[in-house]
Amino acid sequence: MPPNVTRFSRNRCTAVEVIDENTLRSTCRLQDTLTDAKVEILVRLPDLEIAAATAEFLRTPEKACLRTAEAIGKMIGVRIGAGMLKIIKGLIGDATDCKQLAFMVEECCHGVILSMTKDQLNAAPPGADVPPEVYIEMVRKNIRLYNRCAAFAPGSSMVEGIEPPQNEGDR
Amino acid sequence: MLKFARNKLVDVSQKDMETLSVHGVLDDDIYSIDLDVLIRIADLEILSIDGRWHRWTTPECPRAIPFLQGAVGFRIGEEGFGQKVHKVVGRKACRHFANLLLECCHSATEAVRILEWEKSKEANPNLEFPEFRLEGTPEPAMPQTAAALPTPEPPRRRIQHVRKAKRGASIARTTIDLHVHTSPASPCSSAPVDSLIEEAKRIGLDGICLTDHNYVWDRDRVEELRQRHGFLILRGNEITTNQGDILVFGLEKNIQGIVDLKDLRREVDEAGGFMIVAHPFRGFLVVGVDQAGLTPEKAMARPLFRYVDAVEVLNGKVTESENDFASRVTEGLGLPATGGSDAHEVGEVGLYATEFYGTIESEEDLLNALKNGDFSPVVFQKAKQIGARPPSA
Repeated sequence: MPPNVTRFSRNRCTAVEVIDENTLRSTCRLQDTLTDAKVEILVRLPDLEIAAATAEFLRTPEKACLRTAEAIGKMIGVRIGAGMLKIIKGLIGDATDCKQLAFMVEECCHGVILSMTKDQLNAAPPGADVPPEVYIEMVRKNIRLYNRCAAFAPGSSMVEGIEPPQNEGDR
Repeated sequence: MLKFARNKLVDVSQKDMETLSVHGVLDDDIYSIDLDVLIRIADLEILSIDGRWHRWTTPECPRAIPFLQGAVGFRIGEEGFGQKVHKVVGRKACRHFANLLLECCHSATEAVRILEWEKSKEANPNLEFPEFRLEGTPEPAMPQTAAALPTPEPPRRRIQHVRKAKRGASIARTTIDLHVHTSPASPCSSAPVDSLIEEAKRIGLDGICLTDHNYVWDRDRVEELRQRHGFLILRGNEITTNQGDILVFGLEKNIQGIVDLKDLRREVDEAGGFMIVAHPFRGFLVVGVDQAGLTPEKAMARPLFRYVDAVEVLNGKVTESENDFASRVTEGLGLPATGGSDAHEVGEVGLYATEFYGTIESEEDLLNALKNGDFSPVVFQKAKQIGARPPSA
């Protein structure tokens, strides 16, 4: 095969739609050289509880991914929230060896969270640069942000003046 | 109407006989990034990573780029590969780059499978990929569906607790951090148990309760620690359920995996134990728990609260507003409330604790006090909070 021709290509799309004022639908579609799959969850607001979940693998080299009904059903009643990845991996991992299924559910859930992040960003005044003080105050109010990525690590202007956690040096 | 969309594209080509060249793009309503990754075919080692930002959210996001190099040398498929990528790239650089890198690496793995199949075909020209992968003919893929609303459970009879603490000068008090994690019992903790105990003693706590994730401490080992340090050390367990994390006391059974909350309740009832829901309203990195319109009144209706005996309303790993939200829900439900640091590092122990009105000297004392409701959550070491303003501020 000529070097410039791809050996594998993948396209994964996650989309979140508003169904009604109390319901979101998050869909992850995967199409690649080996797999064609779709996972969809319905999420009830404001609790972010998964009310329905479906999975469809039209093409897959993994035998386990051909039977995922029981595994995807375990997502019903789970809330999208902190710590959800452990729950998703645990529940789906116990029910099937189809790793792609757990990943696609995660992508659906991340999509819901990112859609809410987008709402928050849209609420900021347009056009203006956000002064560092706004970020610093945001970190003070939400300790989870501290050192969670390069932007919020010590040395960044966004955490300037914020005391690092004790025993930071022991990490 | 579409509220959010994320697209990821990955292509894998063969740079030479030994190397795969992977190009990945992540483009969504908030971020736009791309990666070029070189991966050695023989052992799937990451040889180089080159990342670029196109759209981002904060002025400091570009700081992430140099940290991508932390994953060079990782081998796809080695033990804990995904966790390592999340830890090194997700935490030190950016979690969206980590997500795209994992997508690139998984795609490279699939490409190698195709290369292996092509090699096998040299000996067996009629070998189809499904046969190569499955060693048999695959059954036709059928749509999988599971859509149903959860069946409401009947309300569980709740243990009657004394809600008001019996404060008084003649009553001894015991302040215990009810929620701490140690290393290596909790893989996410970096706190050796001896150091954690010494720190708890130093700051003046009366005791700590070891609540490692799905881990049952040996009774004799804890007794040995207790005697060696001359300090009250109790045992609990933080068990992950399908409804979140639950602090469990008085249960010896070693529960692994994700357990159904109802099943856990049954186990704990049989053992005569006690269940506290931990950090029930812990939010996300940027998005708060109330952003979707959750009110304390609506939150009170969560079935979860029918299965627990108390609620952790002071937790050291959540925001003040999330703790406040938990307090309002707990008050509305009339459930008892506790506090715990959720310490994962030595310096974090004792931020919050639970004050018991009476003397606690054993696990039996603890269980009795919990069941009697003789306790309340306390802010024990406010200055330990990350980001706490210095005294002069």
